[in-house]
Amino acid sequence: MSRYLCKRLRNLRFSTKITLGVTLMLVCSGLGIGLFLSAMSSKALLDEGKKRGMALTTGLAFRLMEPLLAMDFLQMKNLIDNNHDQYGDVLYIFLTDTSGNVLSHTFSGGFPTDLLKVNLDSRDLQPLFLSTEQGAVYDFNVSIILGEEKLGSVRLGLSRSQMDAQIRQQWLISLICTLGVVSLGIVLALWYARTVTLRLNRLRESAEEIVKGNLNVRVSTPLRKNCWDIMQCQMTACPAYGDIRRRCWHVIGTLCLHCQGKASPLKSESCRHCPVFRDNFGDEIQELAVAFDVMAVTIKRHIEALTERETIITRQQGLLKTIMNVTPDFITLQDKDLTYRFASRAFCDYFSLNEDEVVGKTDADIFSGRQVDLNFHEDEQILLTGRPLAKEITFHRLDGQQWLHIVKVPVYDQDGSIMGLLLTARDISMLKKIQEQLIQAQKMEDLGRLAGGVAHEINTPLGIILGYTQLLMDDTTDQEIVENLRVVEKQAKICQKIVADLLGFSRHSQSVRESMDVNESLREVVQLVEHTFSREGITIIQQLGEAVPPLVGDKERLRQVWLNLFNNGMDAIGQNGSIVVRSRQGAGGKIEVSVTDTGQGISAEHLNKIFDPFFTTKPVDKGTGLGLSVSFGIIKEHGGAISAQSPASMEYLADIVSPPGRSGPGTVFIVKLPAEKRHIG
Amino acid sequence: MPKPLIILAALLVAVLLFSCGEEERPVRVSLNNRQEIAAKPPQPAITYAYLPQYSHTESFQRHQQLVAYLAEETGLSIRQVFPETFAHHISMFSQGKIDISFSNPFVYVNLARRYHAKAMARIVEEDGRAEFRGQIIARRDNKAIHSLEDCRGKSWVAVDPASAGGYLFPLGLFAGHGLTLRDFKEVVFAGGRQENVILGVYAGLHDFGTIREGSLNVLEHKIDINQLKVVATSRSYPGWVYAYSPRLPREAVDKIRAAMLKLDYAHNPRHRAILDAARFIGFVPSDDLDFDPIRELNGKVGLEGE
Repeated sequence: MSRYLCKRLRNLRFSTKITLGVTLMLVCSGLGIGLFLSAMSSKALLDEGKKRGMALTTGLAFRLMEPLLAMDFLQMKNLIDNNHDQYGDVLYIFLTDTSGNVLSHTFSGGFPTDLLKVNLDSRDLQPLFLSTEQGAVYDFNVSIILGEEKLGSVRLGLSRSQMDAQIRQQWLISLICTLGVVSLGIVLALWYARTVTLRLNRLRESAEEIVKGNLNVRVSTPLRKNCWDIMQCQMTACPAYGDIRRRCWHVIGTLCLHCQGKASPLKSESCRHCPVFRDNFGDEIQELAVAFDVMAVTIKRHIEALTERETIITRQQGLLKTIMNVTPDFITLQDKDLTYRFASRAFCDYFSLNEDEVVGKTDADIFSGRQVDLNFHEDEQILLTGRPLAKEITFHRLDGQQWLHIVKVPVYDQDGSIMGLLLTARDISMLKKIQEQLIQAQKMEDLGRLAGGVAHEINTPLGIILGYTQLLMDDTTDQEIVENLRVVEKQAKICQKIVADLLGFSRHSQSVRESMDVNESLREVVQLVEHTFSREGITIIQQLGEAVPPLVGDKERLRQVWLNLFNNGMDAIGQNGSIVVRSRQGAGGKIEVSVTDTGQGISAEHLNKIFDPFFTTKPVDKGTGLGLSVSFGIIKEHGGAISAQSPASMEYLADIVSPPGRSGPGTVFIVKLPAEKRHIG
Repeated sequence: MPKPLIILAALLVAVLLFSCGEEERPVRVSLNNRQEIAAKPPQPAITYAYLPQYSHTESFQRHQQLVAYLAEETGLSIRQVFPETFAHHISMFSQGKIDISFSNPFVYVNLARRYHAKAMARIVEEDGRAEFRGQIIARRDNKAIHSLEDCRGKSWVAVDPASAGGYLFPLGLFAGHGLTLRDFKEVVFAGGRQENVILGVYAGLHDFGTIREGSLNVLEHKIDINQLKVVATSRSYPGWVYAYSPRLPREAVDKIRAAMLKLDYAHNPRHRAILDAARFIGFVPSDDLDFDPIRELNGKVGLEGE
C-alpha cells in the first residue's frame, strides 16, 4: 500500500507535489498551531476567569472588612448582593466569620450546606472546581485578614459556563482563522507552485528543444537594462556588447575595467560588486535559466565549430577517399593482427572484391595458401623489425604477364609502437613493357648506327660491283652471261637499296624545313606512283581537303613517308584494290593525313611491331623492314605522330569501291602533323 | 514509513496531547441540599470601642493588639466594637454596648456628665505628653491665610462637632481671638474622620481645616503633606482617655487599668509593638478631675450642657 502510495506520489507533477506538500505542511502547522494556541488560549481564558473570580472575591473581601468589623449586616448583604447581581456568572457569594458562621449569603430558600463541607481552607489551591446541578463552578475562598487577624472568609461561586462559551467561541474563531490561513496558504502554494513550475517547465521545454536540436532557445527573462546601457561604456568591441542572450558576467573576455583580463572565478567574484550584476541578478531559478541559456549558446557554438570541423573532416575524408579510390595504386592498411582496416578501390577491383569483402578480413580470407604464407612471414617480419619492405613481383594472368611494385611500411601510433602495416602496390606491367621497348629501341638504335656504318662501308664496294657488272654487261654478248650479270646487277641494286634505306634510317642530318602544302606533296607522290599502281589494278583515290593549312617540314622526307605508305598499301593489296589518301584539318591545329588500303590487313599481334626496324611480314625479296621505321622517325622529327589501325575503320573505307571479293579488312595509317603556327586557329 | 513522516506524526500527536491537556476533576457538590441557618450569637465579652476617628480597619489595626493584650493580661473576654460615628459611639455607650470607651476628653466629659462614665487612664502621646492640641491647617499655597484672623469669612472643615482636637480646641482658640462661628463662611464636618479634613483642605475644597495634632502623619504616605501648613495650634488639653461604663464591675476595671499601666514601652518589645500599633507610648492613671479644663472650654465655646 505504502509502495503504491509512494509510486503514485512519485508520478505526480512537480507543481502538485509542491501544492500537496505545502498543503500538508500548512494543515499540519495550522492544526498544530491552532490546537496549541487554542489550548493555550483556553487555558489562558480559564486562568483569566479564575483570576477574575479571585479578584472579585478578594475585592469583596476587602470591602467586607469594614462592615464585618462593624457587624453591619446590611452593608454586608448589600455588598454581596451587588456583586452577585452585577456579574451574571457569579452563582453565589457568602460570608463566614472565623467560626464558620454564615453571616451573609446570596441564596434564597435556604443555604446549600454542602458548600460548608468543601474548600474550607483558603490556603488550599484556589479555586476549587465544583460540579453542581447548575453546572461546573469555580469556588473561591478568600480569607478576610486584617493585620494578622483573620476576620472571616468570603466564598464566591463562579459559573464556568461563560468561560466555556468563551472558549468555544475562541476555538471556533481559531478554527475559522486556521482554515482561512490554510486556504490562503493553499492558494498561495498553488500560485507559488505554478510560478516555480512555470519556470521549470520553460527550462524543461528548452531542454527538449535542445535535445531536438534547436539551440536557439531562451529561458531567462530579458534584462531590465543591458550592461552597456548601465555602464554607458560604448565598447562595441566587448563580447558582451549586443549580446542579449547572455548575462555579461557569464561572458569571457569582457572589457569592463574591473573584470578585464580576469579569468572566470576572479571575474565572477568581481562581477558580484558590479551594478550590472546587482541590477539583473535573479533568484536561483533565474540564475539556472541564465546558466541554461549560456549553456545553450556555448553548446551551439561548440556544435557549430564541431559541424564545421566535421564538414572539413568529411570533405577531407571524401577527398582522401576519392584519392584513394582514384589512385591506380593498391593501398591497404592492416592492423597488428594483419586484419585489413582499409583497402583502396584499385586493390578491390584488381582482385574483383568488394570493400566489405576485404575490410575486417585477413590474407587467409582473400589469397591462396602459398601467397598467404608468404605475406604472413613478410608482414610479421616488418611488424617485428619495423623495417619497410619494397619488392617487385610478377605473375601471369589471362591478360598476360603482370608486374607489381610493392612497398610495405610499418605504421606507428602516438606512443611510437607499431600499430599496423601500410601496403602500397603499383601495377608496373606497362612500365615494364615500355622498359622492354626502350631497351629494344636502344638496341635498334645501336643496331641502326652499326648498320649505317656497315652500309656506308658496303656502299662503295656495291657501287664498284654494280658499275663493273654493268660494264661487263655492255661488253659481253653472251646472253647467258648477260643474264647472269643481270641477276648480279639486280641483287646488287637490292643491296644498294638496302644500304640506302639503312643510311636513311641511321642518318641524323639536318633537314631543310620550309612551309609546304601537304596536298601538293601528296599529289606529287600520287602522280609518281599512279601509273605503276594502275598496272597492278590498284586505284588511288584522293580525298584531299581544301582547307588544309600549310606546315613547316622537309618536303623530300615527307614525300618519302607518303611513298613508303603507298608502297606499303600496294604490297598489302597485291593486285586489284584501292588506296584512299585523305587530308584534312584535325583537332588542335593538327593536319591529319590518312592512307587507307583495302589489303589483307595486319594482325593484332603484329600491329604494335610494324614500326620496329626490320620488322616485316613481306616475302624476303619484297621489303627490307625499314620503310615504316624510317617513316616513323621522319614524322616524329616533324613533331607529329603516326599510328595504324587494322582493320581500317569504316570512316576511312566508306567511299571505297573495290572489286567484289577482293576487298580485305584493310589498314589505315594516320599521320598527324602540326600545322604552321600562324595558321593555328 | 520515511523518517520525516514519523517525526511529523509524532509532533502532531504531541501537539494533540498537549492540546487536549489534563481536565480538572470537579468535586461533586449539591446546591439543592439547602437548610435555613442562623448565625450563632457572639460570646459575652467586655466591649472595647475606639472613638471613630479613622476607618474601622485602621481602628482595628491600632487597637486589636492592645485589646488582645488586655484580654490576655486580665483573663477577661474583651471584644472590640466599631461605632460608626461619634454620636454612635456615645449612643452605644449609653446603650451599654460599649464597656470601655477610648475617646477624646470632650466626648468623655459628655459621657461622664450624661452616662456617668469614669476615667480610668489617659494615654501618653508619642511626643511623651498626656495632653494634645488642635491644629488649624491650610494649603501652603493659600496666600490668604497666614493667621487666625485670616480665617475670618473662610470655609472651615472640622472633624466632628464632638471632636476635641478637630473642632473644639480650635473653636476655643478662635473664640479667644474673638471669632465666633458666625465669622466663617461655612463650617463643614467631615464625619468624624481626621483624614477627610486633611484631604478636603488638600483638595482645595475648603480654605482651612482643624485636626488633632499628629493626624497629618497618618497620611504622610498617601499625600504630600508638605503641601499643607499649620496656621495655628491650640493650647494643650488633657489627652485621650479610657473610661469605663458604670456597669462594668470594679474588679474588671482594676484589672484592665493595671494591665494598661503595666505596659512598658521603653523596655518591653512586645509592649512597644502593642503601643506602636496604637500610636501612643503608654498610660497614666487618670480621674475625672483631669478634665475640668475641657469643661471650661465647653463653657467658653457655648457647648456646655449638650
